[in-house]
Amino acid sequence: MKARVFPLAGAALLFVGIVGVGLLFETIQGGSAAERLVTAMFINAIIVVGIQIYIGNTGVFSFGHIGFAAIAGYAFALFAIDPSDKAGRIADAPFGLADVSASVPVAVLIAVVVSVVIAAIVGIGLARSGAQSGAIAATVITLALLFVTHEVARSWSDVTGGERAGLTFGIGETLDGRVAVYGALFASLAIALLFARSGSGRLAKAGREDALAARAMGIDPRVQQTIALLLSVAVVAVGASLRVYEVGSIQPGQFFFDYTLLTLVMLVVGGRNSVTGAVVGVVTITFVRELARRLGSEGFEVFGLGLDGVPLDWVFREGLPRVVLGLAMVGFMIWRSKGMLDDWELDEWLRRRFTSDQEAPMPAEAHSGTAASNQLVARDVIVDFGGFRALNGAEMAASSGEVVGLIGPNGAGKTTLVNVITGMVPPTSGVVALDGQQGEIDLTSAAPYKVARAGLVRTFQNLRLFSSLTVLENVEVSKLVAESHRPSERDVGAEELVAAAGLWEHRDRRASELDYGNSRRLELARAAAMNPDFLLLDEPTSGMSDSESLNMVEHVRGMAELVGAGVVVIDHDLQFIVGICDRVYCLDQGSVIAEGTPDEIQADPAVQAAYLGSAANT
Amino acid sequence: MTSLLQNLIDGLGQGSIYALLALGVAVIFGVMHLLNFAHGELITVSGYAAVAAFGSNLSWWLVAPLIIVVSIVTSLVIERVAFSRVRGASEFTQLLTSFGIHIIVSAVLIMSVGASVKTFAEPPWIFDRIDVGPLSLEKFDLLVIAVTAVTLAATTWLLQRTTFGLSLRAAAADFDTARLMGVDSDRVIRGAFALSGALAGVAGIFWLMRAGNTDPSAGIDPMLKGVLAALIGGLGSLRGAVLGGLALGVAEVLLRSQLPSSVAVLTDAVVFGLIAFLFIFRPQGLITVQHAERV
Repeated sequence: MKARVFPLAGAALLFVGIVGVGLLFETIQGGSAAERLVTAMFINAIIVVGIQIYIGNTGVFSFGHIGFAAIAGYAFALFAIDPSDKAGRIADAPFGLADVSASVPVAVLIAVVVSVVIAAIVGIGLARSGAQSGAIAATVITLALLFVTHEVARSWSDVTGGERAGLTFGIGETLDGRVAVYGALFASLAIALLFARSGSGRLAKAGREDALAARAMGIDPRVQQTIALLLSVAVVAVGASLRVYEVGSIQPGQFFFDYTLLTLVMLVVGGRNSVTGAVVGVVTITFVRELARRLGSEGFEVFGLGLDGVPLDWVFREGLPRVVLGLAMVGFMIWRSKGMLDDWELDEWLRRRFTSDQEAPMPAEAHSGTAASNQLVARDVIVDFGGFRALNGAEMAASSGEVVGLIGPNGAGKTTLVNVITGMVPPTSGVVALDGQQGEIDLTSAAPYKVARAGLVRTFQNLRLFSSLTVLENVEVSKLVAESHRPSERDVGAEELVAAAGLWEHRDRRASELDYGNSRRLELARAAAMNPDFLLLDEPTSGMSDSESLNMVEHVRGMAELVGAGVVVIDHDLQFIVGICDRVYCLDQGSVIAEGTPDEIQADPAVQAAYLGSAANT
Repeated sequence: MTSLLQNLIDGLGQGSIYALLALGVAVIFGVMHLLNFAHGELITVSGYAAVAAFGSNLSWWLVAPLIIVVSIVTSLVIERVAFSRVRGASEFTQLLTSFGIHIIVSAVLIMSVGASVKTFAEPPWIFDRIDVGPLSLEKFDLLVIAVTAVTLAATTWLLQRTTFGLSLRAAAADFDTARLMGVDSDRVIRGAFALSGALAGVAGIFWLMRAGNTDPSAGIDPMLKGVLAALIGGLGSLRGAVLGGLALGVAEVLLRSQLPSSVAVLTDAVVFGLIAFLFIFRPQGLITVQHAERV
């Protein structure tokens, strides 16, 4: 319950802010034109906040939201417009659409349902395409939606009234008063902020930051993206219905390129990763655009300055508002691509301002009680990359409580073996099985997020943190997954793990601000938060000095004991491996050539030959 | 059968223009990973240059090379002013930048010359036909096909046989590695924009000849065709882009002649929808080689 206080307070403040600015402008300006401008601003805010829910949380770029808005707008108009007003335009409409009618709230509901159903279908497509930040497929699919919707609206005149005429409300039957707009505006702000703080929203953001790392932490980004899409489209649909209701008519051009541009500029100028940014963007662009419009049509006369003699006629013309929008878009992309506020969020600021400074939690005690007896086995693993056999019958086994090392020269297949075990590379043949907390599971070729949920959690050779999330959020994200997929009677909290990693003082900093050693420790804490049966560490000391890597030995042991996990570690650093491992496998050319204690391995002639080259090889 | 052949040739005429546009889109996508929504603006700007030139009583023979030059210069200016500053930024940033450029160019034109459509005379022979057996071929289509063939041959030569072409292909395959191997990235990217501009210029000549007019938002249509054709061809694959353009042209002509007109106007929407559908299953593009991400 308490978790919802700040988002709701944030929504209330944002609501008061934008409504206050609007009413102030109205009072100063007076007149129905100002009133219409302000109403349009509120409605645009609903739609832009709706779009932010998707783009901001998932990082997937959508050109298609205005296409959803068009669908919702037509659905709303078809049901809300009185049959007598439709008769002249679409008398021949199929399915009896010419005769249906519904009250405005019901029509809005229908619009939401229709557009959400279509969004679900599009969402399946987007999920199938593996949409992620920067994916071209998402751009193509959403852009196609926008164009297809537009073309259909233009051509299917039996239903839409065609390109020019469209559908029109009867006189005096359009939006009257602002109560509905206020209600929808507050609701959209609350939904957006609550979603951003919800489990689903935070998992979506993890996927936005690094889809691969998210999957390795047991997150299936497609699920969160789809939830975000449906919620986002529902909000947009309400906004679109209000827009049609306010304007009193709908034509295909109303929800097309120009409106896409306007809403996107508002979103990216304010800051697409923040609801506050979206609102600030809407307000800023609304007034900048209005100023440009007036300068364009009236020149300096607007300010009563009488500077009309100044030869600026070539600037103050029709088209100026569009130029300003375009320049705002390009300018922000060049100089501040994350917008004015980036991901600064009002409710988060409130939370930090009004919650007292916490003490670092006491370091948790190491996992005790009955020792787990989990087993991880990989057998006869063969991986072919085209004609190259990267793994040739490799095998390894590990039990809980022990630290197992994988060593071998470059190209021996160490990382490939970990990739096979964690589901990132499907083996050509072979078996990966885990006998752990959840019983015996065959994990051969399982999806990475399923492997993570089963209890094998990895870190990456080239650090993959959720870089714009805070240190604490990085760990909390894993904790969220663990709560639903890996329940444990002895739960080590996210804050405890952050403290145990020695990162308590950095907990509210972005992960990207940490130095290298701290980043490595955070990655380890994030993996440990999954409450894993086994931690798989891919070169945890790469790039570290000798003293740092010795430090890391203690650290890895501590974390593993804290959550009661076995460890499999890959490294080049022999000192590290000898210092930490109970047992070591040595790989060369895709097969295990030796297995034993670190001392045995160091003495093994085959290992020495593999590392140093033997007489037979030269 | 005859009508099918007729459609095919008409379609190739139309498709040749799309192929040139798509090739320009694909070249830029190859080196920058940017889907250039501003590609059509090259034709818009060239169109106004043509209007000005006709105002000075120049003939098509002089206007045609002018269009190519204006298109190349415009392409280079856009690169210099905007794209060079977002190089290496996220796809999101680059995409929105190109979107912004599209808006700025059309809005500046509205401000400077007005929103109204400007017309000019098509060449007198544009609708002349030559009868070959049962076929009636437009001179224009034949000219387009011939010029496109020559342009593509020249482009192929440029890409396959010159150092610039080699650097461009290397950069398209792996931009960072190409830079490390000593490829001058500025030069390659400027070269890519010049090439893209030249191809759009050649396409623009025919586009404008046929249209006989231009207006501030005239760039949307050619941009859309170029992007669609490049998408059909798999984005980044140059050969694919050309084939995609030809396929799009033929498909359009076939659909227009076979379907009732109320459905035929949906050709673009249908094609776009199909492409989106295919992208669901081949998210990296339809022909593109997948680059596995290293972990």
